[in-house]
Amino acid sequence: MKNKLLIVLIPLVLSVLYACANTTSVARIHPETLTNTPNCSECHSDSLGLFNHKSADFFKKHGFYAGSSRQTCASCHQESFCSDCHAHKEEIKPADKFADSPDRNLPHRGDYMSQHKIDGKINPASCVKCHGRQNNERCASCHK
Amino acid sequence: MKKHQHTRSGCTPQKILTLCGGCLTAALIFSAPSMASDVSFSGESSTILRMKTNLEKKDIYPLYEYLRLNLNDNRDDGSGVAFYLGTWGRLDLADKSTDKYSDADLQYAYLSYRSAKNNLAVNFGRQFISEGVAAEKVDGLYLRSDFAAGFGASAFFGKAVMTETDAKGGNFVYGTRISQSMPKYYSVGISALKSEDSDKQRYREEEGIDLWLHPVKQVELTGRSSYNSITEGWMEHAYSLGITPLEDIKFGADFSNINYNDYFYNVTTNALKLATVFGLPNPNSNEELLTAGVFVSATPIKNLTITADYKNYSYQLAGDANYFGGKISYSIPGSYSAGFSGHRMEGNSDRLRYYEYRLYAAKKIGHADISVDFMNVGYDKKINDVKNSYAATASAGYEFSRKLKVGADLEYSKSPDFDNEVRGLLKLTYAFDTKKANKGGKE
Repeated sequence: MKNKLLIVLIPLVLSVLYACANTTSVARIHPETLTNTPNCSECHSDSLGLFNHKSADFFKKHGFYAGSSRQTCASCHQESFCSDCHAHKEEIKPADKFADSPDRNLPHRGDYMSQHKIDGKINPASCVKCHGRQNNERCASCHK
Repeated sequence: MKKHQHTRSGCTPQKILTLCGGCLTAALIFSAPSMASDVSFSGESSTILRMKTNLEKKDIYPLYEYLRLNLNDNRDDGSGVAFYLGTWGRLDLADKSTDKYSDADLQYAYLSYRSAKNNLAVNFGRQFISEGVAAEKVDGLYLRSDFAAGFGASAFFGKAVMTETDAKGGNFVYGTRISQSMPKYYSVGISALKSEDSDKQRYREEEGIDLWLHPVKQVELTGRSSYNSITEGWMEHAYSLGITPLEDIKFGADFSNINYNDYFYNVTTNALKLATVFGLPNPNSNEELLTAGVFVSATPIKNLTITADYKNYSYQLAGDANYFGGKISYSIPGSYSAGFSGHRMEGNSDRLRYYEYRLYAAKKIGHADISVDFMNVGYDKKINDVKNSYAATASAGYEFSRKLKVGADLEYSKSPDFDNEVRGLLKLTYAFDTKKANKGGKE
């Protein structure tokens, strides 16, 4: 009886809360064409203005923003933008794939074979952010 | 599907997930009121040929094809349905570049509905979930919506997409995030993630709280704490503070704390399996890392940014390290960019004592663009008889049209692992669409 009541109540409460929200969704496609690293505060005076891609700490914080407000990112960035780095299985490191964009904040510049041993020691958690807890098969060629 | 990836099939939750997700997505899509829509199809093909040597010093020529497809149905009321697909494949033209001569992967493929109201979104298929403690690639269903009084909620359920290089991973993964916000001032979220292995054993159980405060325009605090319920310990605390007293000056500080035992619990590759090293117990698995950093950034003239930063790494077992330096960059969007950075890593071990420099420049001339990039790491004490590890890259590209672009990169490097390595890359990118590209869209 209790379960049946919950099955009726939960959708009902959610429907009422949904109807009462009445917010306008973030635009699916940003109305202005943006290139390079925009400073959103040039146009937005609300919280969207905090997405200043030029800011020195934006790269560090971008994961937090995506975890809190993914729909905002999706106005400009397609899924491929995320998967270029956050790949569970990828063989070309982002800095090689986009070597023609040296101004972008792309990880693993230069010969990363040597440096990854240092970075992996200094903060192994930083590897997980992109490679995931499962890492990728590329690692297995050495880490057997 | 590759042998290292999950191949489990036929289990009831999968069938339920497929059925429920498909029905729900289809219901939302087709129950939407009939109205004028704007259907577009776009995509991009990138063919990449790499030329380099492998660890056995043999020449390898892996040929890659990356394909991205987007099918959008944008409706007049602001809602829309879309299908996104991203995949790649590789064929080795000479010696094998990994342990296989060819390989492929489906990066994402999902059907998405987004409502014009309440940021309602329903995604079904292979996708990257980023919600609070979750940052997972999943074959499954994702739902989110705003609710009354500033509340928002999201939930996902699916099969974890993973490579299992050394150990079995979790099977089904599901989670949720509930948030409450006043968009002008703050957002607070609580989230949870749970995963079970094929034997229904607890594989991952994580809970977290995330915080985003911006009481005034000049101050922003972001952060997250995550807890591992299986090990009963905090995995990570990570918080950042940004203060912008003047439009052209920003101060920042960040703090993070990572407990290895809790953070690296249940991983599928030995590279991150810190509990054991070569099959033996790793005394460092109880390591705890504490980082604290500050930076100041200024833009004295338009397009010029100068940044100075400092970060301290403090380990419970391994000692301390300090990383500090600065960067100066100049950029005219769409035309020119250049930058120089220099940093010093000052640690207790030899590997953590080095200078790091990088210099780059990129210029667009008509339909052509060229760039150069040089990076050097100078170790205090030689590693494999190498004092300086450096890489110099030159890149050139030409845009024949809005749709067709070719490019080539050449890199020379010397490092403790490779004496003199030359690597090349050729790239042909072709974009196609049924109409003009979406406004604001960035690949």
